[in-house]
Amino acid sequence: MIPEGTRFLLPPEARLKAELIGRLRELFLRHGYEPVELPALESYDPSHPLAQRAFKLVDKTGEVLALRSEFTTLLAKLLRPHLGEGVHRFQYAGPLWLREADAELGRLREYTQVGLELIGATGPLADAEVLHLAFAALEALGLEGVVEVGLPSLVGEVLKASGLPEGAQQEAQRAIHRKNLPELEALLGRYPLPPEARKTLLALPDLYGEREVLEEAKGLPLPERAKRALADLEKTLEVLDRPVLLDLGMARRYEYYSGIFFRAYTPGFGLPLLGGGRYDGALLPQAAGFALGVERALEALRPPQKEEAPEVLALDLKALRRFAGERRVELFHGEDPVGYAQRRGIPFLAQGERLWRVG
Amino acid sequence: MRRYLLTIALPKGRMFQEAYQVLRGAGLDLPPVENERALLHGKEGGIALLELRNKDVPVYVDLGIAEVGVVGKDILLDSGRDLFEPVDLGFGACRLSLIRRPGDTSPIRRIATKYPLFTSRLLKERGWVADVVELSGNIELAAVTGLADAVVDVVQTGATLRAAGLVEVEVLAHSTARLIVNRQALKLKRSLLKPLIAKLRNRDGSP
Repeated sequence: MIPEGTRFLLPPEARLKAELIGRLRELFLRHGYEPVELPALESYDPSHPLAQRAFKLVDKTGEVLALRSEFTTLLAKLLRPHLGEGVHRFQYAGPLWLREADAELGRLREYTQVGLELIGATGPLADAEVLHLAFAALEALGLEGVVEVGLPSLVGEVLKASGLPEGAQQEAQRAIHRKNLPELEALLGRYPLPPEARKTLLALPDLYGEREVLEEAKGLPLPERAKRALADLEKTLEVLDRPVLLDLGMARRYEYYSGIFFRAYTPGFGLPLLGGGRYDGALLPQAAGFALGVERALEALRPPQKEEAPEVLALDLKALRRFAGERRVELFHGEDPVGYAQRRGIPFLAQGERLWRVG
Repeated sequence: MRRYLLTIALPKGRMFQEAYQVLRGAGLDLPPVENERALLHGKEGGIALLELRNKDVPVYVDLGIAEVGVVGKDILLDSGRDLFEPVDLGFGACRLSLIRRPGDTSPIRRIATKYPLFTSRLLKERGWVADVVELSGNIELAAVTGLADAVVDVVQTGATLRAAGLVEVEVLAHSTARLIVNRQALKLKRSLLKPLIAKLRNRDGSP
């Protein structure tokens, strides 16, 4: 009936999902982020970061179309010619599709994201704004979240300055990403490297934890640009003034992320709930943002299995019209309204203008 | 669903025993394995051990059901899952090899294996055009019977191969047991896991 990796939602989950999206949109709006809308159909572009994993369709002209697989790339492309000077804030929400082979726990092929982009501002204050909103989003959902911040650009700068050939840099990046110290050691052993570069590279996988990690990192022989990235991160965390987890070995897509990269987890749920970062120069000169996976949030919240009863049972249409503006009302069909209200736990009955508590 | 201090996914069989000894040696308070038939050992609030098929270990760890696992590198090379693998535990050494009938140098058109992802990647890297046939056991029979021109399989001593009259043409990868950790769990349970990783790395006789 429906393909693997897609879902249908019934009450109360469907309502909860709409509520979660509403809460996030409202939160972002209150922080100056204006909604934008993007089409679900895009022209297929082989250079798109998710080109291979996107669903494809054939247009009437014979050209290939792709179903939207993320928001940021298209939004940046559409905005590029129209953005003037100054700071712009946008938010988006909607379904996305990925032609993933396996659909598993919290990994779907059709899923919903709510996210935001802060464009035209960079530096510690801008990073702190985006991180603050990530925390605020988790709080708005009622989730106990831990935000983890990494600095892919630091790994990138250290690799670039190391003098390793390009293929070996990529291999080293993969080993750092998996915190695979034995293989990183073996790999570095095959190349003549300055001892400082070797020391720093071997330290990166284990630079995770709390603030002490920054001190450890500062003690390493780092290239100039990496030092600056680290100083910026320290300032960001000072401005943010909330505890975060750090992992300076996070080396995901370091050519794309120019500064911080972050994710949020919640205890007892094995996948990240949101992810984002700063990607100055990749699509736009200055931009940062994040997106939250709504289905994952739903799964982490473990919604109540029971449907919630309305407040009022209306005995006629007039009462429905009269009270639906202020309360959740349902019109009654059938015999014995009192028994029905008691069975479902509906506290009030209403007829015409009259409202009374079920005895 | 029961809650545990830590859930560890282990492959059943010999690697289970070895991993058990090594993890206990690193100071983990492991539950006793009393009931041979149980697949889950441990009490609520303590450490739980899951006994799984080796291929399922990365799945349980990636999806966060188990925070930690022990599994051979050969399995990881074929799993395509995004995990941390901070420690080479050294035991369970074997190799992934290309195996053929003696003297057979004809182009490989069909290749049988228990490691389809690893084998497809190999074909792509080498520019070989061949079909990959996924089998579940006694892979050498595929070469003996002519189901395939070559097989990619795990080799420990080579005795099975010799008995089947086949030759190990090329060693494609070396494998030992690895500690794997779920990406979120390493951070959320770092007070438990960071010292464990340090102890396992500094163990006597580690490679």
